[in-house]
Amino acid sequence: MPIAAIEALVLLLTHSPSSTISETLDLLEKSTEHLKNSIPNPIGLSAGTDLFQRYLITTLQRPGQLGPAGDFNAIRAHLLSNGRLFIRRAKESRDKIAAFGRGFVRDGSTVLTNGGSRVVASLLQKAADEKGGPSAVRFRVIYVLSSSRNVESSPGAEPEGMETVRALREKGVPVATIPESAVAYSLGKADMVIVGAEGVVENGGIVSRMGTYQIGLLAKAMSKPFYVVAESHKFVRLYPLGQYDLPIEQRVIDFKTEEEIADEAKQQPQATTTEATSKPVARNSCQSVDFTPPHLISALITDSGVLTPSAVSEELIKIWF
Amino acid sequence: MTNPADPALASSLSAPASEVPAQQRQSEAPSNPSQPQPQTQPSKESGKPKKEKKEAKPKDTKDAIPATDGAEKLTGAELKKRAKAEKAARRAREKLDREAGGAPAPAGGPAAGGSGAGAGAGQPATPKKGHGQPAGGSGASGDKGRGLPRRPSGQTPGQPSPAEQKKKAEEKNVAVFGHLYGQQRRATVAGAGKEVHPAVLALGLQMRDYVVCGSSARCVATLLAFKRVIEAYTTPLGTSLSRHLTTHLSHQITYLSTCRPLSISQGNAIRALKLAIASIDPSVPEADAKETLCEFIDSFIREKITVADQVVAGSAAQKIQDGDVIVTFAGSSLVKQTLLNAHKQRKKFRVSIIDSRPLFEGKNLARALANAGLDVQYSLMNGISHAIKDATKVFLGAHAMTSNGRLYSRVGTALVAMSAKERAGGVEVPVIVCCETVKFTDRVALDSIVVNEIADADEMVTTQPPQQVTGLPDPAAAAAAAAAESSSENKKKASKTPVPPTNASPLEPNPALKNASSPLKDWRDTPNLQLLNLMYDVTPAEYVDMVVTEMGSLPPSAVPIVHRMSTSL
Repeated sequence: MPIAAIEALVLLLTHSPSSTISETLDLLEKSTEHLKNSIPNPIGLSAGTDLFQRYLITTLQRPGQLGPAGDFNAIRAHLLSNGRLFIRRAKESRDKIAAFGRGFVRDGSTVLTNGGSRVVASLLQKAADEKGGPSAVRFRVIYVLSSSRNVESSPGAEPEGMETVRALREKGVPVATIPESAVAYSLGKADMVIVGAEGVVENGGIVSRMGTYQIGLLAKAMSKPFYVVAESHKFVRLYPLGQYDLPIEQRVIDFKTEEEIADEAKQQPQATTTEATSKPVARNSCQSVDFTPPHLISALITDSGVLTPSAVSEELIKIWF
Repeated sequence: MTNPADPALASSLSAPASEVPAQQRQSEAPSNPSQPQPQTQPSKESGKPKKEKKEAKPKDTKDAIPATDGAEKLTGAELKKRAKAEKAARRAREKLDREAGGAPAPAGGPAAGGSGAGAGAGQPATPKKGHGQPAGGSGASGDKGRGLPRRPSGQTPGQPSPAEQKKKAEEKNVAVFGHLYGQQRRATVAGAGKEVHPAVLALGLQMRDYVVCGSSARCVATLLAFKRVIEAYTTPLGTSLSRHLTTHLSHQITYLSTCRPLSISQGNAIRALKLAIASIDPSVPEADAKETLCEFIDSFIREKITVADQVVAGSAAQKIQDGDVIVTFAGSSLVKQTLLNAHKQRKKFRVSIIDSRPLFEGKNLARALANAGLDVQYSLMNGISHAIKDATKVFLGAHAMTSNGRLYSRVGTALVAMSAKERAGGVEVPVIVCCETVKFTDRVALDSIVVNEIADADEMVTTQPPQQVTGLPDPAAAAAAAAAESSSENKKKASKTPVPPTNASPLEPNPALKNASSPLKDWRDTPNLQLLNLMYDVTPAEYVDMVVTEMGSLPPSAVPIVHRMSTSL
């Protein structure tokens, strides 16, 4: 999501005729706001847009030919080319992470993972590849599949992460799929937990798919290492103090009485015509996120190296100042 | 030391005060050259505090004048030499103080030790008679030797004579914190030295009395006072501003630190100021240089404190949500600003202030918040478990943040943070520290024993709970109370039911009050009794969730990084 946002912003800058710095920044801010408002959970997105904005500002402030005194057209051309470079680097970061993280998946180990993170998938696939193709099976994967999607949306749809499961099985990696309720049961058989993240926040915690927090708690309780795989463009300037301190509104806990359900049922027939209104809510509940505090995380595998949670803030400060 | 009365005094002293060991007499002898003999003897033996005090003052002023006169004429090289010797003398005096404390017989007061060492330069215990004289051969060092008693002589009025006080202090120091008992805090401007600017003189006493209290307030006040010092400063002939002003300021700083040990923020500000002074080109005209420095001070205050406070308060207020119950400890100005800020944003929240003796800093905070229309609950530290029960967030002020992420703040803060974190059966309460980066230090604190500040233990005695208006009938007052039996009956009832002080005070011509008010009054004379009045404690980094600074919100582990960045900028 952050990459998509940055791509969109670069495209926007290419196509919009802006002639001053403040105009450019203003345009950027407006379209960022627009992007943020159009999706229910803008945490991942804001990581990308903020980073891009920050990058532009620091570039503009830099003294020299490209600084405030320089020719604006040159600045603009420079910005655009650098913006593309930025995107290319961001896309390459997945390979970099896989290279860093490969060492963590050792022979004979069992990895527990969840969600549909593409970084985790690429890391596991890289590890499987390296171990010598389909015949040499050296590690196993326990894949936690979210059950909520099956229930809520159309039952025919695959749970998130099924593609990864298939891809791994193709490579000869034994994969077990378990429901979320079986995490505690299965964790005894796992050697480590690897999860993806939607955003890495300032204190080193992560905002991630609902259910990650409980896996983190269980892993801590069973003293299994809990690794997070995230690209550094997912670092967000956000400091949640707890689950309920996230800047998004989630209706995960929804108290109802029988009466209210009856009311809703009454309204349902009326609302069937405007189906669009009921749909975002359903989607919202399975896209909800939770916050895993830093003390549950053993390490973060990022494209700038393997970091401890406390090093994240250092990285963030480096980016922002 | 060219005083001819010196040897005479030394010998005359030895006769009456024969129980004082020779070594200590030695150190004492050269120190009181101008002291009238008859006065010294009685005060030595009877230990009358007032007399010692009185005679110390005139001596000081007398001494100070020649000393500073000498300083006027000194050249740069001599000045340097003098400063060096003074430093050595100070060290030696401290050493002597310690030694004297450890000795079985009480040694002379700090004044005696100081000048003795000043002349003898670090070997005060040599039994050679009048050894101060040869050492103080040159005019400069002689002046210095006599000038020195100025500083330590500022003892609290009403204290026992140095000898006696030393003995008491030794007994009364809590052993674990023995290294923290330095000099007595200065109680008077007498003998403060001519260089010290009146604004600084006043500020020193204000800081001592906690009139100017709180890390940032002290920092700002110091900088403003230094601004006046710089405005009033003229470079002496033969020196350059960038070189001489630093030493001139260090006189002020030494004075301030004798009134109360400097805070971390003060230290950081002074370091920045000295750096600014040192970086001034000597060729710059003095007026320009002074203007630059004043501007530097103004911008330092603005950037590091005033605006930083606003930024911190703004971002910390964002963390307050409707329905929160905010617990805070003592009276941090930054927390106050944060809460008021959040209140201005029309957030609905409650504040629970926890306070502690003897400073009761939370009272002002409580009043300020209540006046602003907030819902405030005020309780003392004893009620912490109760106050923390319905808390949702804890906001703390800071004296300093150390490089290992620990919070160094008013004593009791650690307890509040711990209660919030270890609350039984509840969800963890986030602990938020509001702190400007000027309070960051590269020091590391592992516990609150190694680095701390000890305040006057008498503060604990005199500030008795003012609520105790009715007074508990204590044995001494029992007889008096029995005489007026009916009235005492009333009083007992009153003491059981919580009566506001205003109501109870009319029926309070109580003789018991005076006695009951300070059972610890005679603590110095009570054997086996030690009072400990610590100022600060250290909160482990695990108990702090977030540090809000003007550079953003950080986990405590990021403190050293930000400190490095903010000092290198």
